[in-house]
Amino acid sequence: MLFFSKWKITFILGAVLLGVFFALPNALSPELRNKLPAPFQRTINLGLDLQGGAHMLLEVDLTSVLAQALDNEREAVRQGFREADRLRTEFIRVNEEGDAVVGRMRNAEDMPKALDVLRELSVPVDPTSLSTDKTTKVEQDGEKGFKVAITDANIEYIQTRTIAKSIEVLRRRIDPQGTTEMTLAREGDDRILLQVPGAKNVDEIKDRINKTANLSFNMVRKESSSEAAMRLAAEGKLPPGAIFVMNQNATNPADGLILEKRTKITGECLKSSSEGLHPTANYPIVNFGFNISCAKIFGKLTSENLGNRFAVVLDDEIITAPRINGAITGGSGYIEGSFTIESARELSLLLNAGALPAKLIIVEERTVSAELGKDSIDAGKTASVIGLLGVGIFMWLSYGLRFGTIANIALFINIILIAGALSLMGATLTLPGIAGIILTIGMAVDANVLIFERIREEAHLGRPPVNAIETGYRRSLAPILDANITTLIAAVTLYFVGSGPVRGFAVTLAIGIIMSVFTAVIVARLITATWLRRTRPKSLPI
Amino acid sequence: MKDISLVKILPMEPRIPFINVRMFAGILSVIALIASIFLFSTRGLNYGIDFTGGTVIELDFGQETDLELVRTAVGDMGFAGSTFQGITPPLDLNKNYEFIRVGIPLQPETVETGGSEAQQIALRKVEAGLTEKVGKFEVYSQDVVGSKVSGELRTKGIMAVGLALLMVLAYIWFRFEWQFGLGAVAALFHDVLLTIGVFSLAQIEFNLSIIAAILTIVGYSLNDTVIVYDRIRENLRKYKTKPLPEVLNLAINDTLSRTVLTSLTTLLALIALYVLGGAGLRGFSFAMIWGVFVGTYSSIFVASPLLLLLKLKRGVNTGNRDAGA
Repeated sequence: MLFFSKWKITFILGAVLLGVFFALPNALSPELRNKLPAPFQRTINLGLDLQGGAHMLLEVDLTSVLAQALDNEREAVRQGFREADRLRTEFIRVNEEGDAVVGRMRNAEDMPKALDVLRELSVPVDPTSLSTDKTTKVEQDGEKGFKVAITDANIEYIQTRTIAKSIEVLRRRIDPQGTTEMTLAREGDDRILLQVPGAKNVDEIKDRINKTANLSFNMVRKESSSEAAMRLAAEGKLPPGAIFVMNQNATNPADGLILEKRTKITGECLKSSSEGLHPTANYPIVNFGFNISCAKIFGKLTSENLGNRFAVVLDDEIITAPRINGAITGGSGYIEGSFTIESARELSLLLNAGALPAKLIIVEERTVSAELGKDSIDAGKTASVIGLLGVGIFMWLSYGLRFGTIANIALFINIILIAGALSLMGATLTLPGIAGIILTIGMAVDANVLIFERIREEAHLGRPPVNAIETGYRRSLAPILDANITTLIAAVTLYFVGSGPVRGFAVTLAIGIIMSVFTAVIVARLITATWLRRTRPKSLPI
Repeated sequence: MKDISLVKILPMEPRIPFINVRMFAGILSVIALIASIFLFSTRGLNYGIDFTGGTVIELDFGQETDLELVRTAVGDMGFAGSTFQGITPPLDLNKNYEFIRVGIPLQPETVETGGSEAQQIALRKVEAGLTEKVGKFEVYSQDVVGSKVSGELRTKGIMAVGLALLMVLAYIWFRFEWQFGLGAVAALFHDVLLTIGVFSLAQIEFNLSIIAAILTIVGYSLNDTVIVYDRIRENLRKYKTKPLPEVLNLAINDTLSRTVLTSLTTLLALIALYVLGGAGLRGFSFAMIWGVFVGTYSSIFVASPLLLLLKLKRGVNTGNRDAGA
């Protein structure tokens, strides 16, 4: 146990030195750090609870997206039958379970042809992938009925795409300049984790998350001017193909307009948008420009509907409903409403970022001010230093100068190695993580205590110094490993089941355990062996 | 070289009859366990918003602020069941103002949707009301947890502790005889239950970091138990004729100085953390300090005597490892 070959010594010293190098950048100023070679520039990341910032868990409302997908499927089926001759149906609708489009044909002899049409509509889920999964599964139901269900593969594809799109839109909304270091990542099936360090404007971020920013230009239907139709509409009775939309800041439930449901002019058409001032009246407006194809559609629409009104609808509210006084062919225009400069800027930012494909719900929010973060770091530092000093002095008192020093060197190297490992892994240090380190300081000496106690015992049994140390190290190895592996099991469990800051604790605890075994069993042993070889003591100062 | 060494004050070969008081210790543990379960089922735990859902904000009014003023202001807005607490900032004990922590309970609408919209609305209302009635403030920290997430965190917390206990049982079983595995896990249950009991008694907030503390107590207590068990196994091989209780007692005494030393260093670090580590870690370090005491106690007085109760057989314990040679 006490013999170390040359290469072993080199390896151990190398590992310790590497640890020191990786830990060192944390102590340097940022300017100095940037001069180091790249692998040594990494430092320990501070968690949001230490640097301040906002942490939010957003749930993507996928049910509405899937409902929309089914709606589209129903439309596609209707369209498909219309295009195929003489395919007449009794009904086509989304079933009550909300997982399939069902319908019945008028004539049973149309069934083979209808099924062909339906199968034609079932296309590969992801044309870019090799998988042959189709979007829908077509079933015949009885003599004249059919059922088109959306496949699981398609649902998953829709989920993945919705979340990816949401993340993209969120990034553009919250960080339009792309300068903030923020984290946006999918978490689990239907959630997005958003972390913005040092965020001060949390309410603004929340506002940007809460707005879907679904923009559309819908024609106002003639029924809007009929009082009777409006009364029915407010009660939810609408002519086919129409929707009733409330005005922005509506005060009573009838304050709205009846609009054409179908429209080709949506947020997708927008090329760009910006806030501005009305050319003559000088109040805030939002300028917009359409892409070429939408500009054409909009030009045609406006020239055919001179004198009629269209409504600008944002998130199910009418912002404005101007009358068409002339064809708008240039593909650009402005929206006026009751804007302030700020709200105009906010809306154009949202429009530029695009609409969220689904509503996002904040299911968890944790915000820490930079001040609290700094206070926590300071407190953690003080507690670490005092803990370290206390344990160090205690070890000296317990084991005397010689072995106390060995244990304390091991402890010190242990702390450096933990810092090095955390930097190298790019791990995040959280408040509970600091607790983990301080706890490790107390527990790290355990391995050395075990070894030293065993050495004392063996020496007491009458073994000569070298033999006692040798036996002490050998016999304490198994209990040290057993004891630490069990703690490691607890830490690993904590990592996989825990969340957020608790994970940070699990990481530092696990690293601390591994490093303490390394320093106590290997580094301290090397120091002891070197000391033995140099001095060849007759008795043990322990 | 002359060295002073504290440990030399401790006897080199202590012969404290730990095992002989096992009946007494057993009764003490059973009473404590019953008390813990009783407390837990009657008083329950003071769950934090991690597990109940709800909102907690910490506000810094920039000057000493009357807690009652805040209480009345929020009470007037009609948020029944809100909690109020003045906090001393970490370290800086001389600051002449306090942070005020306001807890707004889960809003009924939130429970239905699982999200936190109603919480967010309530939060804005409270913030606006406080600015108007008490004064301007900075938000020191702000936590909003929806009911869906808190439910998940609850499940996950229970799962974490359960899973850790299972894995540890499996490991000890693999390394030792089954009696050791059962004894160790029984001792862990003992520690976990007593910790829950103390949290119920003192009504200290029970949150995610306490789950972390409990798992660490599991690790620490097990550490202690495994060291004693290892020694028991070794002594069983060494003293083939000694009666079992004596072998156990010898093992506990052999490892006693290590048990004491490690407990002391860990306590030193934890007390530093408790006193200086700030309000955010106080619950955690309290749980850990308690855990070190319980964990040490249970390794000596629960885990080892249980081996006798579980009728540990001699002769099968030769194992496959060379430890005594």
